Amino acid sequence: MRKSFLGALLAALLLPILVACGGSSTPAAEPTSAPVAAEPTAAPAAEPTEAPAAEPTEAPAAEPTEEVAAEPTEAPAAGGAPTDDSNCADEAVLCVGLVTDVGRVDDKSFNQSAWEGVKAAEAELGAYVDYIETAAAQDYANNIMLFAEKNYDIIVTVGFALAEATAEAGEEYPNIKFIGVDQFHDGSQENVVGLIFNEDRAGYLAGALAASMSQSGTIAAVLGTDLVPAVVAFKEGYENGAKAINPDITVISTYHPGGFASGFTDPEWGATTAKQAIDQGADVVFGAGGNTGNGALIEVAGNEGKYCIGVDSDQWETVPEAHSCLISSAMKLITPGVTELIKAAKDGNFPSGVYYGDVGLAPFHDFDSVIPAEVKAKLDEINAGLADGSIDTGYVPAN
Amino acid sequence: MQAINSNTQARSVNLPWRLIVGLGVILLLIIISYIRSPQITTAVLSSTLRQSTPIILGALAGIFCERSGVVNIGIEGMMLMSAYMGFMFNVWTGNLLLAIVGTLLVGALIGAFHALMSITLKVDQVIGGTVINILATGLTGYFYQQGLTTSGKLQTITIPVLSDLPIVGPVLFTNPPITYAAIFLVVIVHLVLFKTRWGLRTRAVGEHPAAADTVGIRVNFVRYVNVIIGGMFAALAGAFLTLEAVGTFERGMTNGRGFVSLAVMIFGKWTPFGSWGGALLFGFANGVQTQIQFLQSQLPSWLAWLGQIPNQFIGMLPYLLTIIVLAGFVGRSRGPAASGKVYSKE
Repeated sequence: MRKSFLGALLAALLLPILVACGGSSTPAAEPTSAPVAAEPTAAPAAEPTEAPAAEPTEAPAAEPTEEVAAEPTEAPAAGGAPTDDSNCADEAVLCVGLVTDVGRVDDKSFNQSAWEGVKAAEAELGAYVDYIETAAAQDYANNIMLFAEKNYDIIVTVGFALAEATAEAGEEYPNIKFIGVDQFHDGSQENVVGLIFNEDRAGYLAGALAASMSQSGTIAAVLGTDLVPAVVAFKEGYENGAKAINPDITVISTYHPGGFASGFTDPEWGATTAKQAIDQGADVVFGAGGNTGNGALIEVAGNEGKYCIGVDSDQWETVPEAHSCLISSAMKLITPGVTELIKAAKDGNFPSGVYYGDVGLAPFHDFDSVIPAEVKAKLDEINAGLADGSIDTGYVPAN
Repeated sequence: MQAINSNTQARSVNLPWRLIVGLGVILLLIIISYIRSPQITTAVLSSTLRQSTPIILGALAGIFCERSGVVNIGIEGMMLMSAYMGFMFNVWTGNLLLAIVGTLLVGALIGAFHALMSITLKVDQVIGGTVINILATGLTGYFYQQGLTTSGKLQTITIPVLSDLPIVGPVLFTNPPITYAAIFLVVIVHLVLFKTRWGLRTRAVGEHPAAADTVGIRVNFVRYVNVIIGGMFAALAGAFLTLEAVGTFERGMTNGRGFVSLAVMIFGKWTPFGSWGGALLFGFANGVQTQIQFLQSQLPSWLAWLGQIPNQFIGMLPYLLTIIVLAGFVGRSRGPAASGKVYSKE
């Protein structure tokens, strides 16, 4: 009898996987009609190739045409930029494709920052740009292939988890330049570069700020999964930065236990965890982990007199709900980094291996007057110290 | 064989004792930990209640459906869809009360859809539920746009006097409305299911529809109503996520909570109180899991080994604990006999 129950439990546990796989297949039918209505001038010949949408991964690819339609003024300004990717093989046409990590291109975080970098390149270089939103981790390689087979010149892959798929694609398509955001590449492939950041430094600055602003002597961090080294670096930097300001400070921090599948997409877990931290005295919370972290920021905003610190991009712009607590964000300057690398690829001085982008704290916005001048001075001092190497964040990468 | 016999004979005496001893041990542990660290105990227990809220609401949805003989594996999808619609109603109207009412209507609608598929159209009920899950992920994922802001979320209501009590006050009497509602609904559903005529009919229809039919109960009508009510419970769980807990919507934000509800319902042997126990256990394990990580850097030496456990293993704690309690204490669990079977008159 117990067996039949276990079977049911197993089925219940398996179902989310089924749902995750099948999830994106439903909207596939819908977007196909939208671009046609929105932009009748778009070369219809290019569209039908995408229409069958047999694979769920292809569905989001239909969306970007709307993007183009939304900004018709931009395309002519760039001097007759291509409006579709049918002649990417042509040397005069620069095509840049972006493959997101599991999640959406408008995730208010990572994918969005990288996509903005690509769009900046679109405006500056007159490139044709497009993106594919990855629905599930097993689609990484396929999604990269979709761009590669259309002869895109540059493919940007966003996220640590795509490193392997990017390296393999780089092997297979030596003429295409690959930019892997947040990925480590060893430099053995000339056409593959990893855009990485010293997250520990950004975290160190955030920790220093948190410790300076804490009254209670307890600060917290609500993090995505520790399977991503960047998250670990943020955490270690945060803790050490806080201790550099106040050696007696208590730092309580938690990783999301869900791994890649839900580590960055669980705002309620982030919110609950932030609440649990506040309940035991934390008065500054660092939310680092996509939507999970955003959930933490929003939760802190509901508690008077508590501060929160965002991550990756300036979250003042991306999480308006957190305005009442957000004193700053530990930023990885992904957008300029991606744009720089795309330009380098076009100009022929493409680096290989890894390329370090800049990190820093976001503006204090409304809290500019709340944060004392000596704290700001101290942060500047730390920033300079980190840059010239006189301050060590104490973070040792695992590999 | 003997063991089973003696068990059934002694059940009426045995069960309450087990329960009382169990609750006593839990209470004692809470008091001990409260003496050691009031702040942390309160924090973990608050987190327990909060994390159990969507789970128990989902489980109540499942109880209504399955007790009347309709398997509902689509709770996850119902939650997600109503979480999304609740958020959108909040964006459109800016009135939280209207948003909740709208969410409940959406839940009723999805419930009616499930009832239509599984009762009138006689679609396999597991397939029907799966359709709802897939539809919810797809539709919400496609229609959701970033950047929508709302006028706010449901705020905490502090009950005077009671909220000043130690432990109990901050944990039980300082909560937002849907959390209070969930506690009341557990009791109400228990009363409805076991003390009213409607409850009796629901159970009869779920156990032996043919017999219920012969005494004049309209089987499919009872099922329709119960599945629609179930949809509204799932909708309340969705409303909890977007209107009370987080305040915004994110794609796939239910993250399997609907499926955990189903497990919890089975854990509680299709009873409201049993399921609540399961939901609280799950919430507690999650709270402890977070707390273990919080304290990793300041553990006393005799507990230092806890800090060495990889987070992924600590993350398994809720599931592990559920399986242990299920296998060790709850024992065999059998659902309503006619659950999942389409009823048609002969």
